[in-house]
Amino acid sequence: MTFGLANLANAAGSTLAQAGFPEPMSTPALAHYLFLSAVLFVIGMVGFVTRRNLIIMFLCTELMFQAAGLALIAFSRFHLHHTGQTFVIFVLTIAAAEAALALALVVLLFRKKDSLSGEEWREMQG
Amino acid sequence: MTTLIHTIPSLVASLTGSLVQDGHADAGHAAEQVGHAVSHGIATPVEGPLWIALIPLLPIVGLLLATFAAIFKVKSKLPAFLTVGCLAGAFGVAVGAYQHLSGMAPGSTMVVTAFEWFDLSWGKGTGQNFHADFAFYIDTLTCLWMLFVTGLATLIALYASEYMSHDVGTGYCRFFAAFNLFVFSMACLVMGENLLVLFLGWEGVGLCSYLLIGYFYKKPAAVDAAKKAFIMNRIGDFGLLMGIFLTFVKFGTISYPELWPLVQPYIEAVKAGHVGDVPLTVSLIPILFMIGAFGKSAQLPLYVWLPDAMEGPTPVSALIHAATMVTAGVYLIARTYPLFLVSEYALPIVGWVGAITALLAATIGMAQFDIKRIMAYSTVSQLGYMFCGLAVLSSAGAAYHVFTHAFFKATLFLCCGAVMHGFGGQLDLRKLSGVAFMKGWGIVGIAMLVGCLNLAGFPFTAGFFSKDMIIAESFVTAGPGYGLIGWILLLTAGLTAYYTFRVFFRVFVGPKSYEPGDEAHDHDDDHAHGEEHNHDAGEHGDHHADHFHPHAPGLAINLVLGILALASIVAAGAYFIDTDHHGWVGKMVHESSANYTGSAAFLDAAGHGADAHGHDAGDAEHAAHGSFLGMDPHKVMYYVSGVVGFIGIGAAFYLHYLGRKTAATSKADTLLPLLGPIPRWAQHKWYVDEFYNAVIVLPLRVLAHVFHAIDRLLVDGLVNLAGVLPRLVGARIRPWQNGVMHGYAVGMVGGLALLIAAVVLLSM
Amino acid sequence: MGSCPGVTASCGEHSGRVLEQLTHPFLLFLGLAFGGVGLCLALPRKRVNPQVIGAVLGGLGIGIVLLGLGLRNPEQLPNYNFYIFGIIAAGSALRVITHPRPVYAALYFILTILASCGLYLILSAEFMAFALVIVYAGAILITYLFVIMLATQAPSEDQLESLAEYDVESRSPVVAAVTGFVLLAALTTMFFKGSTTLEAPLAIHPDALLAQMPNKVTPEKVMRSLEREGTVEEGESFVALDPEAGTVTVLGLEGERVVAIPDDLGVKNVEAVGFDLLNEHPGSIEIAGVVLLMAMLGATVLSRKQVEFEEEAKLRQSRALSAEGGVFSDKEVRP
Repeated sequence: MTFGLANLANAAGSTLAQAGFPEPMSTPALAHYLFLSAVLFVIGMVGFVTRRNLIIMFLCTELMFQAAGLALIAFSRFHLHHTGQTFVIFVLTIAAAEAALALALVVLLFRKKDSLSGEEWREMQG
Repeated sequence: MTTLIHTIPSLVASLTGSLVQDGHADAGHAAEQVGHAVSHGIATPVEGPLWIALIPLLPIVGLLLATFAAIFKVKSKLPAFLTVGCLAGAFGVAVGAYQHLSGMAPGSTMVVTAFEWFDLSWGKGTGQNFHADFAFYIDTLTCLWMLFVTGLATLIALYASEYMSHDVGTGYCRFFAAFNLFVFSMACLVMGENLLVLFLGWEGVGLCSYLLIGYFYKKPAAVDAAKKAFIMNRIGDFGLLMGIFLTFVKFGTISYPELWPLVQPYIEAVKAGHVGDVPLTVSLIPILFMIGAFGKSAQLPLYVWLPDAMEGPTPVSALIHAATMVTAGVYLIARTYPLFLVSEYALPIVGWVGAITALLAATIGMAQFDIKRIMAYSTVSQLGYMFCGLAVLSSAGAAYHVFTHAFFKATLFLCCGAVMHGFGGQLDLRKLSGVAFMKGWGIVGIAMLVGCLNLAGFPFTAGFFSKDMIIAESFVTAGPGYGLIGWILLLTAGLTAYYTFRVFFRVFVGPKSYEPGDEAHDHDDDHAHGEEHNHDAGEHGDHHADHFHPHAPGLAINLVLGILALASIVAAGAYFIDTDHHGWVGKMVHESSANYTGSAAFLDAAGHGADAHGHDAGDAEHAAHGSFLGMDPHKVMYYVSGVVGFIGIGAAFYLHYLGRKTAATSKADTLLPLLGPIPRWAQHKWYVDEFYNAVIVLPLRVLAHVFHAIDRLLVDGLVNLAGVLPRLVGARIRPWQNGVMHGYAVGMVGGLALLIAAVVLLSM
Repeated sequence: MGSCPGVTASCGEHSGRVLEQLTHPFLLFLGLAFGGVGLCLALPRKRVNPQVIGAVLGGLGIGIVLLGLGLRNPEQLPNYNFYIFGIIAAGSALRVITHPRPVYAALYFILTILASCGLYLILSAEFMAFALVIVYAGAILITYLFVIMLATQAPSEDQLESLAEYDVESRSPVVAAVTGFVLLAALTTMFFKGSTTLEAPLAIHPDALLAQMPNKVTPEKVMRSLEREGTVEEGESFVALDPEAGTVTVLGLEGERVVAIPDDLGVKNVEAVGFDLLNEHPGSIEIAGVVLLMAMLGATVLSRKQVEFEEEAKLRQSRALSAEGGVFSDKEVRP
């Protein structure tokens, strides 16, 4: 459990070689993580809106889940409280369930129109 | 009417009595004293008896009765006789009012209030409290006017009962309803205690004129004439209304008893020679009133409606357009004379307009062939005389001319009407001749002769005296160019005599011949004449002239014509009743607000404030106040105008009677080519109508088309745009709802982005 | 945002401040603009394909922003590993959405997951990192790849590889990029403001949770671990354990002395997460289980293939099943 993680954990080094939270994270450092999370989220969102392939669209929603998870973990580290990580477990669970159902639906839709394009489905026009 | 004859002797008695009491006046101060003593129109009024309100009320009763007759589809001449009865009653009350008034001190006035009409107040200053009662202001001027208005109305209603008899049914009732309404309006106009009631009457007579001119509403020419009359009246009414507004703004009141004391200081100022003290607003009021008077009394430039108004039935022409409505303008100026006296420019403008109109109308009348038109132009011309009379400070002369003109012009019109009625609508003097000698037309001929003599100013007729007063004064009064006005009026008198007798010599005397007009109609049993006719129904028309028998007038027409002719003769006698004041009419005028108070703003040369222009005194000095070719006008004018009249009659005799064999031609026709294009221009009324058409009507029509285009393009366009816009916007937006998931997703995400951005912005 | 009372000068001032605050994070918006343009260019399109330029611009954009963030507080930079994993994550995420072929997109997604895993490790969330890899990359993405396989049409003879129409061209790239830019700007504006409302909490010793694990830190185990580590000598006895401070008080020869809690008895991340999960969110666990069950059943039901049978064939089949050797028939199956 300790192989090299101490190096990973704290660049400043610490005598406390335990896994866990060696030092609280500063707010500007938090900003970096949140920015990355936002970038991932927006990339996922743009992908969802742009791509026509149904499967890729759902993949982009998974990307958004990823971003959310990253933000949660970053805050968990910031607040030194494990609830964030717990919540990511649930996010993961829901993401899995949703992916299963979504892909089942995609399969059904594919069977109907023989195409994976989201633009084929225009029943709600007008 | 008979009571009038009875009243005159008592009048003479009372007035000569009072005259003796007055005693002799010192010549030097005669003018001033008499001027002051006789400016009674400005006396404070007393409360009058309420039965005077019957004068306007009885015509209303007549109106209601005629309306009921129409509702119950009365098919007899009942409405006419009801009208005659009501109007005779009104005349009786007018006589009674005169008796009542003459029982009071000279110059007194009565106010009879019917009900309070307006009482608005929005402040405490002058001009912030508007109070107008529906009240009647009875002074001698009012009585004078009401006597001849109601008298003539009664007689003409009687005439019309036979004249309009072929229209018995609803048309008949409509005629008499409008007739009654007219008399009511005229009563309001003349008897009004304030300018508002006067304006009510003013508009009312305009309305009734419209209704009655357009009585034959199925004839397009009549409808057009009615519209023209109404619209031109309206132009004048605008001026009058502005004048009333200005009066209210300046003086804070429009009621005569309150107004005269407020004008008094300006009169004093003018008398003292300080003409410049009169402010511009006060000078402006009479000019605005003048515009109204020109519209109503058909002077330049608003006279063109009167000849066209002859499309109406002849009784209408006689009553409204000869005797009563057109004199409303004269009445207005006479009533508000104090205001006219203090204004520097008002009366000269009135005089010049009147003079030019008189000459213009006379020249046009000389070249017309329709006898009613000729009479219409002569009305315009004589109205010009009346305005000149007011301008030359002879309000007595003007009023007397109104009085006499009413009678003889009514006579003339009614005779023309009788001719028209009898000859199937024929009015062309080239197609009628020798009517007076036909059987049953004797009385018409005599009445016509009496009327023509009056109009031409034959010596010792009433018209002679009244016209003479005016012409004489015009040479005496020192106004701007008044001497020239006098010469113009003299020339016009000659022309008047000429064209009047042209009509008489062509139509009524000479060889007997006639052609029926376009309205040759069946004879009903209603006509009360003693002749038998045996022509078939339906065989009328020009080419069946030999089957057409002229329809001699019946009892009603003859009776009325006779009475009117008699009255014209008797009116001459009124000149001699009270010679100090130029006759009975003059006395009536001098005791009212129309009196010349001895000072007028326009008189040139200093010191004329208290000038010795005291013709009231009768024998005052006339030193250096204008003269006629070096002679005193008052003494000489009788002879001069008589001579001029003779010249005119002589010319007409020579050109239109001597050697005339047919109806169509006369010696005048040989003279016409010598004058070149002038007779043709005169016949076309100097193209005034065409000028108005080009200058006023045409641009307005173009403007109307422009506005129509603007309305269609701009206004309608905007409205249509409001309809088109949603469609356009919708066409742009509809593709967003294409059912494709991605579009909706973009929308959602975009909305989210904007929302978050908004939150971030707001939290800053 | 209050109203500006009275003086218009203060209003102008206020709006000036807003403007300043809008444009102040200029660097942020510049970077984001680059990123947006890059994104737009990077998205797949038919004819001209400047995806490389787009990628470069995108990288530039993110680089500028991170640089800016870093320059503002140079002493408080995150771990250098953050930059490595971050760039990998962003880059592969971009490739996920821009690659025309679905399989490659899924594979790049797996790369993104791995980078995320690295980031989780830096953030001391080891359990989540591994859980992420196992569940996400190992299960969900495999499912995705299976479905992609099912749904991709086989290439015909004349075409070596077929790329579906809908994969090649992206839909309204500009609008999407602009919207993304606006959203990103809104989301991240606060960073450059230096949001001061967040307070870093006081340090808690990670071993404070030991207080709830008495069986793990019995005195014998503590002493044995300490001896194994070599921190204590033979004969020293246990006095007390202070989880909050992370120390063990040992009675030694010279008297009491304080030593750190031994490594192998420390609270691991897994333990901490487990404690939190079961202490604080027991209900959620149950619900998560039910959700997973529903998802499994739902997926099974939904993707059943409806086999079309003719009516007669159905009848025949049912007769056959009941007539010969069915489960409940009496007859024996004839050879």
